[in-house]
Amino acid sequence: MPFVQCSGLKKTYSVGGEEVKALDDVSLSIEKGDFIAICGPSGSGKSTLANVIGGLDQPDHGTVMVDGVDLAKAKDKTLSEYRNKKIGYVFQSFNLQAHETALENVISPLTVAGVGKKQERRERGMKALERVGLADRAKHKPTQLSGGQRQRVAIARALVNDPQIIIADEPTGNLDSTRGADVIAELKRLNTEGITLIIITHDASVAAQATRIIEIKDGKISERTGGK
Amino acid sequence: MNFFDQFRTGLRNLRRQKLRTSLTIFAIVIGAVSVTVMLSLVTSTKSFLVSSAEKIGMDTRVIVTGTPGLSYRDSQWNSPDGSEKKIDPAVLAAIKTIDKVQSATLYVNNGMFESFTVDNQELTMKQVGVEGYTPNGTIRHILVAGSELSEDSVGSGVLISSDLASHLGFKGKESALIGKSISLRYRKDSGPSDALKPDEVGKIVGVTASDNGSRLSVDLDWAVSFQTMPNPQNNQNPQMQNQSQIDRNGYSSIWVSVDQKKNVDNVLSEIKKLGFGAAAGKEEIDSQSTAFTIIGAILGGIGAIALLVAAIGVINTMVMATLERTREIGIMRAIGATKKTIRRLFRVEAGVLGCAGGLFGVMLSYGVAIGLNQILNKQLANSGIADRNIVSISPQIAVTVLFITTMIGMIAGSLPARRAANMDPVEALRYE
Repeated sequence: MPFVQCSGLKKTYSVGGEEVKALDDVSLSIEKGDFIAICGPSGSGKSTLANVIGGLDQPDHGTVMVDGVDLAKAKDKTLSEYRNKKIGYVFQSFNLQAHETALENVISPLTVAGVGKKQERRERGMKALERVGLADRAKHKPTQLSGGQRQRVAIARALVNDPQIIIADEPTGNLDSTRGADVIAELKRLNTEGITLIIITHDASVAAQATRIIEIKDGKISERTGGK
Repeated sequence: MNFFDQFRTGLRNLRRQKLRTSLTIFAIVIGAVSVTVMLSLVTSTKSFLVSSAEKIGMDTRVIVTGTPGLSYRDSQWNSPDGSEKKIDPAVLAAIKTIDKVQSATLYVNNGMFESFTVDNQELTMKQVGVEGYTPNGTIRHILVAGSELSEDSVGSGVLISSDLASHLGFKGKESALIGKSISLRYRKDSGPSDALKPDEVGKIVGVTASDNGSRLSVDLDWAVSFQTMPNPQNNQNPQMQNQSQIDRNGYSSIWVSVDQKKNVDNVLSEIKKLGFGAAAGKEEIDSQSTAFTIIGAILGGIGAIALLVAAIGVINTMVMATLERTREIGIMRAIGATKKTIRRLFRVEAGVLGCAGGLFGVMLSYGVAIGLNQILNKQLANSGIADRNIVSISPQIAVTVLFITTMIGMIAGSLPARRAANMDPVEALRYE
């Protein structure tokens, strides 16, 4: 039984009165420890696919089976808990809360879930920051950090709840190539530690590092094996 | 998300928009102050009136007249014209035998005088009544100076109300009146000028608070003697033909003091069985209380409108907040916040607005109460009433207002909160 089993996913958006097929009968299974790159032109539905896998969006048709639960039909509480416990999100624009320190951002998934006492959360948050090498920046606000550091804080936030999947939507899009490479290296390291990694990218050099490359075009997918 | 974290987050978010938060809270403060002050003003005045009435025994008092159906107020001023059932000492004796009756006295109102003089100052009697009763404790006054009528002052002791005292120039120094001589001049039309009785001369023994009207009070026998004419054959004034109006028409009323308030109704019905009119002071107190309750409801309603406007302010503020924080909401949803968490977060934040407004409002209301008391104290002093600081904000009102403003905040916040919770997280994350 694969870790995530998507079958027959359909999702249509209406943009300016025109129907856009973001997902058109997509079936896909993801195994534990996979490193998947989802590629495709903008508007091709790659974010939609990632969001459906990440429990942030639900398809119009089809099933997304995780641990025997169909996310496509799950209620808000189940989906939220799934995002909180099993998924770590990393965004192109970092999406850190500007008014919170790095540490507060990192522990926000714990706060939202009401996990543990404040002290315990801080310890776990510091551990996650240590994993991305930013323990000394814990009290900095995002504005006091460089782009690369912000993205590593975002990764630490994704890590804090020990997720099974990290979904990174264009994680290097706002970074220069050196910083981008660092971030990809960081994510790859986490993948070798056993975390399933899904990266949405249109950067061929990033996609080339994945074990599975899924091309998506007009809502339809095709898969090829990655370079490594 | 636990409540403490929500509360902390709410506070923090409010601090991010200090001006907007302050203005919203200010609107709630205005509403809270108007509700608190208006309700307190009414309840305080009400309880002041009730306690004043209880001090003089009005709550356990029954006034008996020859005319059934008279209200308490009319009973006080009843003047019999002979057409009604006659009140006389026999009736008094009968009433005194009724169970639970503590004491009773015959009572007369007198209109025989045209003026009275103290310290060579003459005041006309147009609006002034002279009441007479037996000083046995049935009738009591709130005294500004001196003492009540007593057995020792029979035939000479006079109580004067404080407004008359101030007309005489003794405002604020009423005690200087005690012991002064007072002379009462008969009306010219009370008899032929050649037969006019000489002035009645007495001594002021006490000054009463004027909440019961402008009055002089003397003992019953003396008051009765005022109405006894020197010339029974006088036929110039047909009303004065008999030797005494009282012999003819009877006494004005009988004032009865019941031992406890709860027995008043029994005594009332016993007296009514005798065929007399009986009115209880507590009915008057109740009708005044009802009037104040109605005024309170109207004033409270005005305050409630202020609070309603403030609630609209809260809605406005929170709608703005949901728009500004759309992306934050998206992030929170992405990291696992449920719709319920988002909803609660905004509701708690709105509740904090309401609670803060209520808190400052109640605090400010205490200040307003102090100011109002300053003004009212002067008024009370002018009326010769000893009570001070009658406006007080009860802890119940304070807590209720605090609770209501918090609830109003949360209710007003629930619409924007639902809006925030129902945002599509994918859209929210894309929001610029």
